[in-house]
Amino acid sequence: MTTQAEPIEAPLASEPRGEPVRTSLLSTLGVDVRLVGMVVALAVLWIAFNFLSDGRFLTPRNLWNLSVQSSAVAVMTTGMVLIIVSRNIDLSIGSILGFTAMIVGLLQAEWIPDILGLPLNAPGTWIVVVVLGICVGALIGGLHGFVIAFIGVPSFVVTLGGLLIWRGAAFALASGRTIAPLDPTYQLLGGGPQGALGATLSWVVAGIAIVAFAIGLVLNRRRRRRYGFPVRPVWADVTIGIIGSLLVAVAVWIANAYPWPPNLAEEYAIENGIPIPPGGLIIPTGIAYPVLIAIGIAVLMTFIAKRRRFGRYVYSIGGNPEAAVLAGINTRRTIMKTFILMGALSSIAAVIITARLNASTLALGTGAELQVIAAAVIGGTSLAGGIGTIAGGVLGAVIMQSLSTGMTLIGVDNAQQDMVAGVVLIVAVGFDSWLRRRRV
Amino acid sequence: MSIRRTTAALAVMAIILAACGPSGGGDGSGAAGDCHVGMAWATFQEERYGLRDLPGLEAALEAGGATLTDNDAANSAETQASNVEALLDAGIDVLILNSAEPESSLQSVEAAVDAGIPIIAYDRELESADALFMTHDNVGVGRMIAEAVTEAQPTGNYAIIKGQEGQTNPLFLRQGFEEVLAPLIEAGDITIPEGAEVYTDEWLPDNAQDNMETILTANDNDIQAVLAQNDGMAGGVIAALAAQGLDGEVAVGGQDGDKAAINRVALGTQVVSVLKDATELGMAAGEAALQLCENPDISAVEGAVESTTVGGIEGYAVLLDPLPITRDNLQAALDLDWLTEEELCADVPSGTVDECP
Repeated sequence: MTTQAEPIEAPLASEPRGEPVRTSLLSTLGVDVRLVGMVVALAVLWIAFNFLSDGRFLTPRNLWNLSVQSSAVAVMTTGMVLIIVSRNIDLSIGSILGFTAMIVGLLQAEWIPDILGLPLNAPGTWIVVVVLGICVGALIGGLHGFVIAFIGVPSFVVTLGGLLIWRGAAFALASGRTIAPLDPTYQLLGGGPQGALGATLSWVVAGIAIVAFAIGLVLNRRRRRRYGFPVRPVWADVTIGIIGSLLVAVAVWIANAYPWPPNLAEEYAIENGIPIPPGGLIIPTGIAYPVLIAIGIAVLMTFIAKRRRFGRYVYSIGGNPEAAVLAGINTRRTIMKTFILMGALSSIAAVIITARLNASTLALGTGAELQVIAAAVIGGTSLAGGIGTIAGGVLGAVIMQSLSTGMTLIGVDNAQQDMVAGVVLIVAVGFDSWLRRRRV
Repeated sequence: MSIRRTTAALAVMAIILAACGPSGGGDGSGAAGDCHVGMAWATFQEERYGLRDLPGLEAALEAGGATLTDNDAANSAETQASNVEALLDAGIDVLILNSAEPESSLQSVEAAVDAGIPIIAYDRELESADALFMTHDNVGVGRMIAEAVTEAQPTGNYAIIKGQEGQTNPLFLRQGFEEVLAPLIEAGDITIPEGAEVYTDEWLPDNAQDNMETILTANDNDIQAVLAQNDGMAGGVIAALAAQGLDGEVAVGGQDGDKAAINRVALGTQVVSVLKDATELGMAAGEAALQLCENPDISAVEGAVESTTVGGIEGYAVLLDPLPITRDNLQAALDLDWLTEEELCADVPSGTVDECP
């Protein structure tokens, strides 16, 4: 079955249609030109903000905050890419987020303590809460997916309905009350200095990532050769490996360069009887848990999209739905699965946001659907279907959050921020279509 | 990125409601000579209207022997217009209008005036000299937040977290802040650093959290106090402060009397939550309606003061005093049955405040 899906990604450049014949450096390296373009755009954006904010943007602290702030939207964007690729849309994710946020809040602060008589921070509560929350999100997504795929109501309508239904249901759950405080262990999932890996573990993660990346390159090479596809020259693979490893190392180095805030470090020192050296105790923060979750999900989703039958089906359906049906793909089941996935991812975002806020409030997730769709589209996902990458979507989320954080940092008004975000969205997509036309 | 989340739903519901006529528990028109009050609610979607305002109104009217007919417009201006017509047709003596959309409500006001019926603008101001505006003093709420916070932290750098840009409430609250802050800024005691005063998209707590993180980054944590325009955003601010170990050290103020916020006041991470007792507002409106049944002159209502609308129209208003809840008067929130002792004292170490043994 794998062979059936493989040819879609056969060309060297990841452009799914048409073999590029040019032999520029980028195409020899076989990297996604659009993705590289986005990274360059992001770099320009960061440097500009750093310049405008007197060097406050490119500090470990701000970049660390930025990474945490982007994670919830990034998680949801990975699912939205698949939804849009399959020529659907999901407008209900903000409301699913709001609903599951109330569920996870009530579960840990009221239902579990009241029914089981456990205290708020009973060990293991957080796992139960997270698992149940994800199940609820997946169920809601499944319900939407069923109506869309098997009853044939357009996804726009079903999820517009869902947007209203689940926001209302979130209100009904607790009459609009704010649920706080939450389980202390659960809160770590939202980041904060304690909710991070610390220096050593962050380097371990970096090491694992680099090794996995290298193995991936080797395996990919072998597989291509096995199927008789052209392979990159060895030096190209080595260059990609080195650049990738360097990026990972720099990111982890930045995360570790952000020390615990002095007050927290002092508290920690006193609690653990560590003498405080002159100049204060420096504890490197490292990668925050929500960022780790987002990266893990992005990797997993990329794997699903590129290497699993389900993922390839999604792209086939988006490329040509009729052909997909004729090819014997169970399109209905595939579509339903994308919505289940989307629901689950929305509830993971709900976990991150509530844990970070240490509260479940009614309005959480309002407007999230637009942010997520914008991130996916900025990331090169085509609303016409069939085209889009998970990595692009995640980058889109980071670009959106960078704009918002950067403009707040330099004191741009809220209304103007929205206007800038809108312009960037249109320019990004315009540029993308221009690029695509030029290549065909 | 802003979107009125429920607009579409409400439009649909509006059509249904309009088709079905006024909803809500009407007691029918009372006997001739009785005082019959009509109440047009904007929405029951927010907790307070059904659970606090309505019982207050009912209690006052019952005590005065008046009857009440009310209906809900589910936030739709059109539905409300037909709801008001239905109330007028039912022969009410006083109209209380909690406007779904102040501009289009003016037509309803006109219809009531033509029918010779006095009008109370409930909690939302109408640009009309014929309506008696009854509300909690929102400028006063802003003043109270700023007073409590400046008392706790009289000097230093202040950040100001405002609500959704383009609405009037953030302006009223900001005006109240200004009345307290202006002399202190003048004297050089308090500074608002550049970029430390921001609006918050949709009043969302997580947006307030992001903004507060950025403000702390921009000022190297050199922020001593934060004035937030509601408790949800104050919660986001405090979460951002906690990530820097500054919760409890930076003075934070908010409003709404959210249970979680009053709990934070007890915990010491929030200085003040200004509470607007909606039941009190409902009762006051009921009492005013009873007086208007006797004498339709709105300027004669007890507590009515001359006031000018945002649009500059001279009229009358009854402004109720909000109640600031600080560590010193937590008992007041308990006395109002606003929250239970358990809710107030969640996680509060025993002995730190009197109310939590």
